[in-house]
Amino acid sequence: MNYSDAQISAIKDLIFRMADDQLILGHRNSEWTGLGPILEEDIAFSSMAQDKLGHAQALYQILHRMGEADPDSLAFGRKEDKMRCCHFVEYPIGEYSFSLMRHFLFDESESLRFDMLGNSSFEDLSNTARKFRGELKYHTMHAETWIKQLSNGNDESRIRMQNALNICYPLALGLFEPCESDEMLIESGVFPGEKALQEKWSGKINMILSKTDLKIPDVNDIKIGYGGRKGIHTEYLKPLLDEMTEVYNIDPHAEW
Amino acid sequence: MSIKSIDPRITREELPEVPDNSPLKEIHHWQTYEVFHQAKTGDHHVHVGSLHAPNSEMALILAKEQYARRYNCVNLWVVKTTDIFRTSNDEEEIFQTTPEKIYREAGGYKVMDRINKFKGK
Amino acid sequence: MYGGGYIFEESKNTESGTEDSVKLKNFEDRIAAGEKIEPADWMPAEYRKQLIRMIEQHAHSEIIGALPEGTWITRAPGFRRKLALMAKVQDEVGHAQLLYSAAETLGKPREDMINDLITGKSKYSNVFNYPAVTWADTAVIAWLIDAGAIINQVANSKGSYGPYCRALERICVEESFHLKYGHDNVVFLATGTPKQREMVQEALNRWWPPIMHFFGPSDKISVHTETLMRWKVKMASNDDMRQKFLDMYVPKIWELKLTIPDPKLKKNEETGKWDYTEPDWDEFKRVINGDGPCNKERLAVRRRAEEKGEWVRKALMRPDERYTVPLS
Repeated sequence: MNYSDAQISAIKDLIFRMADDQLILGHRNSEWTGLGPILEEDIAFSSMAQDKLGHAQALYQILHRMGEADPDSLAFGRKEDKMRCCHFVEYPIGEYSFSLMRHFLFDESESLRFDMLGNSSFEDLSNTARKFRGELKYHTMHAETWIKQLSNGNDESRIRMQNALNICYPLALGLFEPCESDEMLIESGVFPGEKALQEKWSGKINMILSKTDLKIPDVNDIKIGYGGRKGIHTEYLKPLLDEMTEVYNIDPHAEW
Repeated sequence: MSIKSIDPRITREELPEVPDNSPLKEIHHWQTYEVFHQAKTGDHHVHVGSLHAPNSEMALILAKEQYARRYNCVNLWVVKTTDIFRTSNDEEEIFQTTPEKIYREAGGYKVMDRINKFKGK
Repeated sequence: MYGGGYIFEESKNTESGTEDSVKLKNFEDRIAAGEKIEPADWMPAEYRKQLIRMIEQHAHSEIIGALPEGTWITRAPGFRRKLALMAKVQDEVGHAQLLYSAAETLGKPREDMINDLITGKSKYSNVFNYPAVTWADTAVIAWLIDAGAIINQVANSKGSYGPYCRALERICVEESFHLKYGHDNVVFLATGTPKQREMVQEALNRWWPPIMHFFGPSDKISVHTETLMRWKVKMASNDDMRQKFLDMYVPKIWELKLTIPDPKLKKNEETGKWDYTEPDWDEFKRVINGDGPCNKERLAVRRRAEEKGEWVRKALMRPDERYTVPLS
């Protein structure tokens, strides 16, 4: 299929958003490696963080094939105002309840997103999306098991999970921040749009949480985490990027 | 003052500088599960190790990454350690059966002599 | 990864005067014949005690060993290094899990072992009490410390205790990835820019003394371990393992034109062995007893990880479920 220049730039915008989300959350979740709540879970959570970085790398690779820089330069060489990740993924790891809840809300959306992209008219993206189905299936299975068990655990874990949901939910809505490129993506059959994805996601999250005692917070009176898709970020992103690129920036042209 | 580490993750934890050698306040031992792994369809499940988990559902989720992240695997079983009934080492002798049971070995049946004799008649 | 610097306790009844002599003879005959001992088999109390001690130290070394390299997990340069370092540190956690399981089969619950670790009651490999100052340190650790660990673990995997041998078999397979990754990493630095070469040379200078300590005190000053060797608990002498390491890796370090910070280091043509400056064993003892550059931090981190995870473990406990040690 042939795309117009405007459509190509809409596709790139979509992929940058997705790749940056995966990169930053994969990076955040890797902070738990070696410090998890129990050895077995430490291992599982680390695998999923690695998967996220793998997904980011594959998405940057598509961009590279579309004429952008190589994946390392895209991930390690852009300043925060050029990043398109949402606020949700930027927040520090916090307590395990927060990290788990973020993992749950994020990966459910990611899994639905990649499902939709499996039918994308943009072949490079649909092939890549289909490749990750197995990994994402495990991620959501892992997340749903933990969320169900901890929210039905004891009083302390229920309260902790509810608090985490209260913080995470409005931020998670930032994943679906409306973008100018949406309409063009829908028209060209590349992606059915953030709004459609959000609807599916809400249905899924509601369904899973209805089996627990957790209550989805009222979103009317809280601020949704928008801005990231336009390059406006939280105070957490710059220090994260500074840390992530510390060694790389000793000499960005060196081979590490 | 908290520990300033070379590892930024550790610095963020704001760990106390004064060492604390007291035992943990509470110790919670989850149960152990034995993990069985099937490398490909058609193979037997093979015991590959054990893990700690609070229940079977969680045991499976956790076994998947610890025991199947690096190896081919198509199916996993987890069994509570306490649900496994096994022979005791004092009973090892029960496996030492007499070797004379040729009546159940293929080699115990040699009739060619008899056939040849019969044919020669 | 783990060093052979076992800290065996001198024991008054290693000859097991109190054990049933028929059972003991049968046990020793089986080991001499190359059979493995399984958890439910009869074993001398001293064998059980020393094995728990050794496997537990090994497991602690893995979980604490995840920290020096984990130091750079958020700063690894580029996807390839970032993913590999994550996978490597994850493997170390996985090794701890496998080894705690093996030790548990001897009757000591994992949480008790972890408690003994963070109260300072039980030890771990000394080498992890040193800091990974720069990115290059992680490269040197992944290459040379893991190389040492493989020498030690391959020897131990031929020991007599079944569950430990089985865990080590899998661990050794994974360590070979660590070694390759570490070597690749060192080669890139050593053949890279002047700054990169400087980083890796400095890291090697820092890590050489701990590496020489890694295999434990020289045989001349070690606790006698004849019984443990007969029981195939201890599988090789500290000096032999150190020599083997030098044989295998000094040429590989020199081929990268890196300098090993020991002017006396050379192969003695007469003895066929390496001569080297005797490592500072007083420092080794000082660090093992808590006075190293990172002991305090390592234990504080492990304690924090346990404390932060406590609510998770507690929430999913069921009063009707009882812990039991794993089967094999």
